[in-house]
Amino acid sequence: MFRIVKELDIKFMEIKKIPLIISTVLLLVSLLSISIKGFNFGIDFSSGYIVQLKFDNQVTALEVQDELSRNNINDSTVQLYGSSKEILIKLKDEEIFKKKNINNYLNEIFKESNFEITKLEYVGAQVGSELREKGEWAMLIALFSILIYVALRFELIYGLGAISALIHDVVITLGFFSFFNLTFDLSVLAAVLAVIGYSLNDSIVVFDRIRENNIILRKLSIFAVLNKSINQTLSRTLVTSFTTMLVVISLLLFGGSAVENFSIAMLIGILIGTYSSIFIASASLSYFGIKRPEEN
Amino acid sequence: MYKYPTWKYILVLLVLGYAVIYSLPNFYMTYPSIEVTTFDKKKVDSLDLQKLSKDNDISNIGIDNNNLFFNSIDEQLSAYNKLIKTSSYQYTLSNYNHIPKWLSAINANPVSLGLDLKGGVHFLLQIDSDNVKKSRFNQLENNLRNFFIDNGIQYNSFFTDADKVTFKFNKDTMDTEVLNTLNENFSDYIITSIKSDDSFNINATLSPDSFQNDIRASMKKNLAILRSRVNELGVSQPIIQQQGKNRIIVQLPGLQDSTRAKSILGSTATLEFRLTKGSQDDWSQSEAIGTNTISESLLYRHKNGSPVLLSRNVIASGKDIEGANSGFDGQTNQPAVFVNLSSYGASNMLDTTSKNIGNRMAVVFVEQDKNQVINIATIREAFSKRFQITGLDLQEAKDLAILLRSGSLSAPMTIVEERTVGPSLGSANIVSGRDSMLLGMILVILFMFIYYKKFGFIANIALIFNILIITATLALFQATLTLSGIAGIVLTVGMAVDANVLIYERIREEILNGNSPNASIISGYNKAFSTISDANITTLIAAIALLTIGTGVVKGFAVTLVIGILSSMFTAIVGTRALVSIIYENKNNKGLSI
Repeated sequence: MFRIVKELDIKFMEIKKIPLIISTVLLLVSLLSISIKGFNFGIDFSSGYIVQLKFDNQVTALEVQDELSRNNINDSTVQLYGSSKEILIKLKDEEIFKKKNINNYLNEIFKESNFEITKLEYVGAQVGSELREKGEWAMLIALFSILIYVALRFELIYGLGAISALIHDVVITLGFFSFFNLTFDLSVLAAVLAVIGYSLNDSIVVFDRIRENNIILRKLSIFAVLNKSINQTLSRTLVTSFTTMLVVISLLLFGGSAVENFSIAMLIGILIGTYSSIFIASASLSYFGIKRPEEN
Repeated sequence: MYKYPTWKYILVLLVLGYAVIYSLPNFYMTYPSIEVTTFDKKKVDSLDLQKLSKDNDISNIGIDNNNLFFNSIDEQLSAYNKLIKTSSYQYTLSNYNHIPKWLSAINANPVSLGLDLKGGVHFLLQIDSDNVKKSRFNQLENNLRNFFIDNGIQYNSFFTDADKVTFKFNKDTMDTEVLNTLNENFSDYIITSIKSDDSFNINATLSPDSFQNDIRASMKKNLAILRSRVNELGVSQPIIQQQGKNRIIVQLPGLQDSTRAKSILGSTATLEFRLTKGSQDDWSQSEAIGTNTISESLLYRHKNGSPVLLSRNVIASGKDIEGANSGFDGQTNQPAVFVNLSSYGASNMLDTTSKNIGNRMAVVFVEQDKNQVINIATIREAFSKRFQITGLDLQEAKDLAILLRSGSLSAPMTIVEERTVGPSLGSANIVSGRDSMLLGMILVILFMFIYYKKFGFIANIALIFNILIITATLALFQATLTLSGIAGIVLTVGMAVDANVLIYERIREEILNGNSPNASIISGYNKAFSTISDANITTLIAAIALLTIGTGVVKGFAVTLVIGILSSMFTAIVGTRALVSIIYENKNNKGLSI
């Protein structure tokens, strides 16, 4: 038997103050960053254009930007993309595009060089805010239905524990995106929702064990039950996180730029989710006042 | 050891059979192809196709069933560009694969790929509700005016603003009787009257219901018009469907350039035929002084920029056109649009042209607020139903013919969302999706084998089985696989082993507690069961919440995640259990390879 974790007896409950401090700091930084700095929303949520151009010759971002501003497109972000022949342009939904078809206009602007438009995305203002609204709703509905399921299947206290671990994971993942100014688009939202599912999965496995031990191990204190349950599920938590991490990393390395932000969000979410299911979820049960069955 | 029930073995075999058969079509090569048909969508003989290919120096690698097929998208596109210059057939970009007939017969097809994987254009168009309202108010204003004139009621003034039509009267013009008839005649509208000291106002507006009906009717008409326009763009399997009350999704797979599609789909362009007024001198003079020197005339501008005075009367317009085709003028060989007028338009045209031989007629291209004279010609003889319009280049003539054939949109539609992915980026996305998936799987498979040995091997078989089930289910339900869907599958690969990990860790615990191997297997599976279902049902809830957002990226991800969760639960709880039973059942096992 090859085991990552041998028979362990880590006193999680005795050291629960340390992760509490770490998490509080992380949460504060995240909330501050989100409320002060906000998000670097992709066009899905902020509306505008993203155009990817592939030139036959080498170009620089500066050249392209200059050429655009010479043609009255001032609010543009231009960056090289992959190679020195490919350019990614982010544009606001300007008046000029109401009059001129953007494809034709770009052809006009860069008529001297040979290029093709490999990708063009446009999201109008109304659609953008609708997508944002729908995203927020989906997140709330997910959290709420999970709370109900866990409360019905276990007890309310487990539901509260699972939800606090979840909110912890989501806020820190979002905070990471805000703090490092990473683009927040629909694919990142999908990743955050997947993280909700994933982190929950982890908490539930531990809770399931706590519930079981709470009935079998009659002689132990509630802290000892919590400790034992986390230790027993520890190798499963680590193995599953590890295999999921393997595929997320291969997605990050080979999945291409389209899934880059998605993979980053998943990676952060899984790391935080693993940490929280070990250190936060069960500790939160003790803060919410979990008792031995006979005390109820 | 307790005997694993036979029906479960059968179930596993059935699911395995389903997964293998329905994912099979994906292993046949798919080639980019060009479908060639006659303009009335009839088949073309394969000898004719061979000739077509030879004459135009096309590098196709084969011909089958109306399709010329190619090794690469680049070759397909270059051939397509050559072919559309010849006008003998209709050409559609498509995909072709050699799936055996028996597979197609049981509805086993390859998974359909999203636009981000095969390239193409996605549009979301929204109807201009203000415009629908405006035209309804214009109509209401006219009807009210006619009503008052017909009934001999003198009004002082009238105007229309954003939400009502108002008519002003002298205080004593109106009595209750008139108001009653008015209400009877305009029962679809909400009529209110306001009496003040010196005047009497009547306001008419639409009820919300009747406005909604208008929108519904306009949407229905626009949907039909967009369908017929899309059919002319030469893409295979386009999607045109209504979304919500006021939007239409149009997806055009394989299309490389969105420019033309954009201008055709959203276009409200139509034509008007009018007689010219006055001479060239009058036209330039009118422009110079800023007022029209000829009465009953309107100032237009020719395509080349020069001013033109045209009659106020329209002889015929887009709605009188029944058919239109593009081609070349027989004599000058210039591109032309051949127009067929309806009987009403034709009799009008005959009437006007026979009275105006020697005079000149202009063709005006009308698009929202932009009017442009595209052609002025002298009427040499009277004509009615059929005639031709020149003065356009070939592409313009083709596009105009499409627009005239499909009819004019009943209200303008604006593009509120667009996503275009070039075909080369699409195939690059397929490669990166496939590579990341392969790498992820290989890593997980290696790890599981090293960590859990024989049991790890069983979990790996289940993992591959899982991928087949997901592929088969996507294919069977014709769900679209997108790049985010691949991300969902990759994630499933990581998470699918979780159920097995839970079971194996339990079995290990049981063994460490000193239980016999067989008893450990049984209690490992039993004890892990409730954990697995709780954990997966909660993830499923999150995935279903994702589905409700229902837009491209997120939906694609959620669909594969939902299928992945269900199939991984099945393979772990029923599938691997069957394998474990085959290996260990009825044996006196000394130890487990776990």
